Amino acid sequence: MIASQIRSMWLVFKHLFRRNVTVQYPEEKPYLAPRYRGRIILSRDPNGDERCVACNLCAVACPPDCISLQKTEDPDGRWRPEYFRINFSRCIMCGLCEDACPTYAIQLTPDFEMCEYDRQNMVYEKEDLLIDGPGKYHDYSFYQVAGKAIKGKDKGQANNEAEPINVKSLNL
Amino acid sequence: MPTITIDGEKYQVDGDQNLLSSCLTLGLNVPYFCWHPEMGSVGACRQCAMIEYKDSEDQSGRLIMSCMTPVRDGGIYSVNAETAKEFRGSIIEDLMTNHPHDCPVCEEGGECHLQDMTEMSGHTMRRYRGTKRTHRNQYLGPFINHEMNRCITCYRCTRFYNDYAGGNDLQALGRNHQVYFGRQQEGRLQNGFSGNLVEVCPTGVFTDKTFSAHFVRKWDLQTAPSICEHCAVGCNTAPGARESGNGHDPMLRRITNLYHHDINGYFLCDRGRFGYEYVNSPTRIDQVLSARNEELIGSTADTKDQLHRQVNPRDGVLHLSVQITAAQRKLRRIIGIGSPRASLENNYALRQLVGLDNFFSGLNRLDQHLLQLVNNIHSDNRITSPNTPEIETADAILIIGEDIYNTAPRIALAVRQAARNRQKKQAQDLKIPLWQDTSVRQLEGDPSPIIFIGTEFTELTDIATTTLFESPERVTLFTQALTQEISKSSKQSTEISPEFQKEVNHTAEILLKATNPLIISGISSRHLDTLNAVANLARVLSNHRKVPTKLYLNCGEVNSLGMIQLFNEKEGSLEQLMESLSVSDKEIPTSLIVLENDLYRRLDTPSVEKLLSLVDEVILIDTLLTPTAKRANWIFPASTTAESQGTYVNNNGLAQRFYAVYEGKGYIQESWRWLVDAVDFCTEKSENYSVLRSWKHSTDLSDALAREIYTLKVLAEIGPNEDFRIDGLKVARQSARYSGRTAIHAQQHVSETPPIKDPDAPMNFSMEGIHNPNKTQLQANIWSPGWNSNQSIFKFQQQVGGERKGGPSGKYIEFSQHSTQDSNVSEETSVKPTETSNNLQMLPIYRLFGSEELSNQSMSFSEVIEAPFILMHPDEISQYDTQEGELVDIETNCGNYRAEIKGSNTIPHGCIGVPFGLPGLESLAPQIPGYASLRPAVTPAISEEQ
Repeated sequence: MIASQIRSMWLVFKHLFRRNVTVQYPEEKPYLAPRYRGRIILSRDPNGDERCVACNLCAVACPPDCISLQKTEDPDGRWRPEYFRINFSRCIMCGLCEDACPTYAIQLTPDFEMCEYDRQNMVYEKEDLLIDGPGKYHDYSFYQVAGKAIKGKDKGQANNEAEPINVKSLNL
Repeated sequence: MPTITIDGEKYQVDGDQNLLSSCLTLGLNVPYFCWHPEMGSVGACRQCAMIEYKDSEDQSGRLIMSCMTPVRDGGIYSVNAETAKEFRGSIIEDLMTNHPHDCPVCEEGGECHLQDMTEMSGHTMRRYRGTKRTHRNQYLGPFINHEMNRCITCYRCTRFYNDYAGGNDLQALGRNHQVYFGRQQEGRLQNGFSGNLVEVCPTGVFTDKTFSAHFVRKWDLQTAPSICEHCAVGCNTAPGARESGNGHDPMLRRITNLYHHDINGYFLCDRGRFGYEYVNSPTRIDQVLSARNEELIGSTADTKDQLHRQVNPRDGVLHLSVQITAAQRKLRRIIGIGSPRASLENNYALRQLVGLDNFFSGLNRLDQHLLQLVNNIHSDNRITSPNTPEIETADAILIIGEDIYNTAPRIALAVRQAARNRQKKQAQDLKIPLWQDTSVRQLEGDPSPIIFIGTEFTELTDIATTTLFESPERVTLFTQALTQEISKSSKQSTEISPEFQKEVNHTAEILLKATNPLIISGISSRHLDTLNAVANLARVLSNHRKVPTKLYLNCGEVNSLGMIQLFNEKEGSLEQLMESLSVSDKEIPTSLIVLENDLYRRLDTPSVEKLLSLVDEVILIDTLLTPTAKRANWIFPASTTAESQGTYVNNNGLAQRFYAVYEGKGYIQESWRWLVDAVDFCTEKSENYSVLRSWKHSTDLSDALAREIYTLKVLAEIGPNEDFRIDGLKVARQSARYSGRTAIHAQQHVSETPPIKDPDAPMNFSMEGIHNPNKTQLQANIWSPGWNSNQSIFKFQQQVGGERKGGPSGKYIEFSQHSTQDSNVSEETSVKPTETSNNLQMLPIYRLFGSEELSNQSMSFSEVIEAPFILMHPDEISQYDTQEGELVDIETNCGNYRAEIKGSNTIPHGCIGVPFGLPGLESLAPQIPGYASLRPAVTPAISEEQ
């Protein structure tokens, strides 16, 4: 019994010379990988246009159903969310929305500092979510690979597309 | 029944079907594109490949296209054999090489047959690295969006549009892998069934433009079984709605077809599919409104128009209850006007409140008598009303005075299929199975006899073997002569010319020779004599053939035949109301409650003015701001079909229940609830009022109706009441993957509110509950695992193209069965030219877009509804100092109208065709078939205001 007590004292004594585990947060910040699943943002494509095309896949993938949006179509032919809302008080930071997103628009960031005294402030609208850059994916532009024509990118001008067929020609 | 073996399992299948539909009937998942249950097989897409083994010894077997293979008794097949899977995988990979990678911005995504089949065939990785062929799109009108890049060349669109629906402006253009499906020139698709392309196209080439304007994915739509309210055919629909999330009201987003074997099958008309937008229209009433008394300094309103202001709904209900109390104390008379576009429950509640003596139908005398005549005809046991499959199998059709394409469009599509019956007969004689679509269509069979007589016969002239364009009087004469010819009565009419008699004899011969003849008529020619003659014809034919004659009668509006059950013979017209008001005691003030009705469409304007001047107060319960609403003192907002529950009776006498899809906006509620609310506030005690007070659920009214009105006793059985549960659960209106539940209202309040409760149906306004349509037909979200598109309907049918599992929904009302006397034509309502110089008879003509009141308020319809026009025989136009395309003034006893004059050879001399209910000419409709005169329009000199 006495041996056990001495052993405990020895173990505690040994820790005097170990490195401190406690981090002095918030003065000191831990390293979070770029792939860390924190606060969700909406990114823009390399041209600075909104990447989100309001396809609704993030909303349907979301387990707590905390994403809601409405599609609208701009005069230039682009689909765009009329509103885009994430209720972060329900969000579980699972990242399924990012996985589901076909345009790399919705991304999770290494920021988890989202404290509010009022739960209502956890509801983020599109203005709150949209950032100015492309996020983790620098070069991707959905409309460059999709066959839908928009202003400034006609049929046949996307990647790997042939010139539109003139049905009235012989097309040999 | 042949027995076949598929992947080692033995099955019994229907020998008339091909292997593909047999497999689908058995519930096996076989991918396909070009095959359609209604349109048969062409073997174009090669996607439904299976393996057929010679015998049980055969190990390798051979590839077959299951849609082109008849089932062989004792046949051994495989769906899951490795070769078949590999083949199907390579086919879909080829089909996908040019697919444009735009599912996120495609309206079809999430209910796309191509997505489903790609997934099912296991093609998950794209290997093709070459260039994709691209196409330019066309503008196809306000309903359909075109995105040709997505095409996989299955030819379903042209097969539906041209072969099935009889359109001629959508072609397959180009060649080899550059085939292009479009019009020769941009423009609206002219055929009235073009909306079905949205559902027929397995991918997103044709999508619903009106839906795209407020688009959400299929899984986000809240839905319930509903009935199309835009004509009397009673097609089943699955409207989709969703909250808006951006501070606006919840919206009805789209209409899709809901399969009903006996009515609409797989297809809807464009009026039904795109006419829903009136529900979201800016003219929608969603508040209780009261006329204001204060003087205005200036207003653009007519002097008689009331100006309304919003009031607290409680004040409105209190006001109504004060009136009801006064009526109970005999200090006031309350009169109720029902409507053929309101549900049976709403009409009944009003009848119960005001009493049968004070309840009127809201129809003019002619319409009332026409409907009562239809009702009498139905009660004759020598006559039956055919459903759509019966119409499709008729081998001779006589259409009398009914332009069905414009008045009952889905029936016109059925008649078009009937035209092929001789061809089908020939195919059967040659042992060609009917699902061999191309082979059957290539047969040179005569078209089946379809004879039309009447004023206008739109879109079906190409299949009609005889078309006679005649005035209603001559139509009656023809029908009477035909009756005499069939009954071999010696009494010969002297008025008939030899050529006319020839046509009569020819028609009689066809009807007598046919094994399955059918007569179609209806009330839309607004001619009692014709309808009487048609009934007699059907009776005589039945006497002759010793079986009941199939007679389809179109009743005009969604609940015409239902509403008429609430009235005694020859009672209830607006003219009777006027008579009763003009002799009634002037000491007692009168209130008029108008239920979902626009009186200006029912009576000529001076009569409506007179009627409204005879009452002291007008209370309107309606959905849209109609001309009647402008004259009402109080307006209560009513819910539309998609927002309420009730029962409609269609042309066949089929009582069908529709359920609330969503809760709607503002203070809307079912009309009967306004009445019951008012009675709740009422202080008087009365037995009648305690009955009204006891109504808490829509089904309470249905049950009361079933008890009180003999013909409607089936109403107690057509649907479960709100206590009904399946495994202890209600039915979910939202899909299991309904998204955004915790975010859509979060900007208003972050904590979620419980879903509202439905007091009427065993259904939730949430995703909780039963999702499987096989467990209950209340589930209108047609979805099955792996089958996200509407093609999944086969999982819920007894066999492909057959009845829904669980049997047909709806029940036929019981017309009191008796063999009525052959009615003789004796009515006072036939109109004669009056003493004025009006000498042109107005004949009603109808338009798919424009003749129906509610759909006219849909935004997308504004582009397709014609400007006011009249039709006249081209030879006669010059007599009126004008020419085609000019504006003319139409002078009638009840006002003048201006319209463009168009020439039409179908209009008899001395007549003009007046489009019924067309915006601008709505109030002319009640005067048809009256008389009018024409003169060229003189533009009034515009006085320059300083």
